[in-house]
Amino acid sequence: MRAWLSTAWVLVWKDLVQEWRSRDVLTSMFAFAVLSLFIFNYALELSPINRAEIAPGLIWVVMVFAGTLGLNRSFAAEQDQGSFEGLMMAVPELSVIYLAKMITNLLMMFGLAILVIPIYSLLYNQSLFDLRFFGILMLGAWGYSAAGTLISSMTVQTRMRDLLLPVLLFPLLLPVNMAVVKSGSAIIAASSVPEFQSWINLLLVYDVIMTVVSILVFEYVIRE
Amino acid sequence: MLSENKTITILSILAAILFVFAFFMVIFYAPIEVNMGLVQKVFYFHMSAAWVGMLAFLMAAVFGILYLVHKDLKWDRLLASSVEIGLLFTVICILSGMIWARPIWNTWWTWDPRLTTVTIMAFTYIAFILLRRSMDEPSKRAQFSSIYAIIGFVTVPLTFFSARLLRTIHPIIFGSGGVDMNLNQPMLTTMFISLGAFTVVYVALLLQRERLMQAEEALMRLRLQTEIDADWEDQADA
Repeated sequence: MRAWLSTAWVLVWKDLVQEWRSRDVLTSMFAFAVLSLFIFNYALELSPINRAEIAPGLIWVVMVFAGTLGLNRSFAAEQDQGSFEGLMMAVPELSVIYLAKMITNLLMMFGLAILVIPIYSLLYNQSLFDLRFFGILMLGAWGYSAAGTLISSMTVQTRMRDLLLPVLLFPLLLPVNMAVVKSGSAIIAASSVPEFQSWINLLLVYDVIMTVVSILVFEYVIRE
Repeated sequence: MLSENKTITILSILAAILFVFAFFMVIFYAPIEVNMGLVQKVFYFHMSAAWVGMLAFLMAAVFGILYLVHKDLKWDRLLASSVEIGLLFTVICILSGMIWARPIWNTWWTWDPRLTTVTIMAFTYIAFILLRRSMDEPSKRAQFSSIYAIIGFVTVPLTFFSARLLRTIHPIIFGSGGVDMNLNQPMLTTMFISLGAFTVVYVALLLQRERLMQAEEALMRLRLQTEIDADWEDQADA
C-alpha cells in the first residue's frame, strides 16, 4: 500500500512538473473557459436576477467543457513519446497509473476553478467566493476526473480518439451534473432546498463508486 | 437435449405467440381507464419496453463481467446484442411515452427528470455502439465494451436515484407514493402478461442476434482466409 501510494505521488509529480514547464494544457483550458464565459453572456443575456440562479450551473458547464481538453491530453505525453510500456513496467501495480492520472486531472480542475471563479465574480459582479460552493465544485471535479480518466484511457486507443471522449463521458456524468448544479445554486442563490444534503451524499457515493470501479477495471483497459 | 438452433426457433415462435396474446389482451381484455380513456392502453407496452430496456442493460453489465473473467468472445457477442436490443426497447419506451403524453400532459415532450434521465441513459448506449464501431481488434473491443457496459450500468441507479430527488410528474407504478394510476385486477393481469411476453421476446432476440453475430464473424474469417489464399496463389503464379 505504501509503495502504491508513493509511486502514485511520483507519477503525479512528474506530470505536474511536465505541465509546469510547458503550461500548455492549463493555459488552453483557462483560455477556453474565459472565452466560454464571454460567449455565454451573449447567448443568455443575463439579467442580474437570473444570474444568481444559474451562475453555479454556468461555472460547472464551463469547467466540464474546458476539462475535456485536459482529459484528452492526460495520456498524450506517453502516447507521443511511446513511453507507455516503460511506464507500465515501472509501477508495482497498473492501477497506480490510473490513480496518478486521476489526481493530476483533479488538480487541473482545481487550478481551473481557482482561476475561473474570480474572473466570473469580476465580470458578472457577483461574488462566488463561498467555501461550500468550492467544496461542491471539487466533489464534482473528483467524480468528473474519476470517470474522465478511465474513459480517456480508453478513447486514446480507439480510431476516433478525442472525438469519442465527450460522447462517452457526458452521459455518465449526469448524476454529477445534476448534483453540482442543484446544490450549487441552492448555496449561491441562498434559497432553501430541503434535499440539499441528499445531493452531497449522491456526489460522494458517485465519486467513491466511480473511483473504486475504475481502479478495479483499469488493468483491462491497458493490458493487451 | 435440443440443438441450439432448435431452441432458438422454438423460443422465437413462443415469443411471437405470447406477444400476439398480450396484444389481444391489451385490446380486448383490459378495461378502458376512466380518466384517460383509450390512450392509457399504451401503458402496458410502454412499461414492458421500459422493463426490457433496463433488463437488457443489466444483462449487458453481467455479460461484461463474465467476459472479463472468462475472456470468451461469446460473452462479448451477447453483451453487444443485449445493448442493441436494450437501446431499441428504450426508444420504443420513449416514443410510446410521447404518444401517451400528447393527450394527457398536452405536450409530446417535457423536461421531467424521468424523461430526461431515461433519454440520457439511451445516449450512454448510443455512445457504446460508437465505441465499438471505432475499434477493430476483437479482444480489445470486447474488453472496452465490457468496461463501458459495467461503468454505464453503475451510473444508471445513481441517475434514477437523483431523478427521485427532483419532483416528477411521471406516474409511479411501483414503490411509495404510487397513487397516480390505480390499476384494477384485469389491468394488473394484462400488465404482467405483457411484461412476461416482452421478456421472452428479449431472450429470443438476444439469442437470434448472438447467432447472427457469430455467423458474421465466421464469414469475416472465411473472407480473410480466401484473401490470404488468393495472395498465396498470386505469389505462386509469379
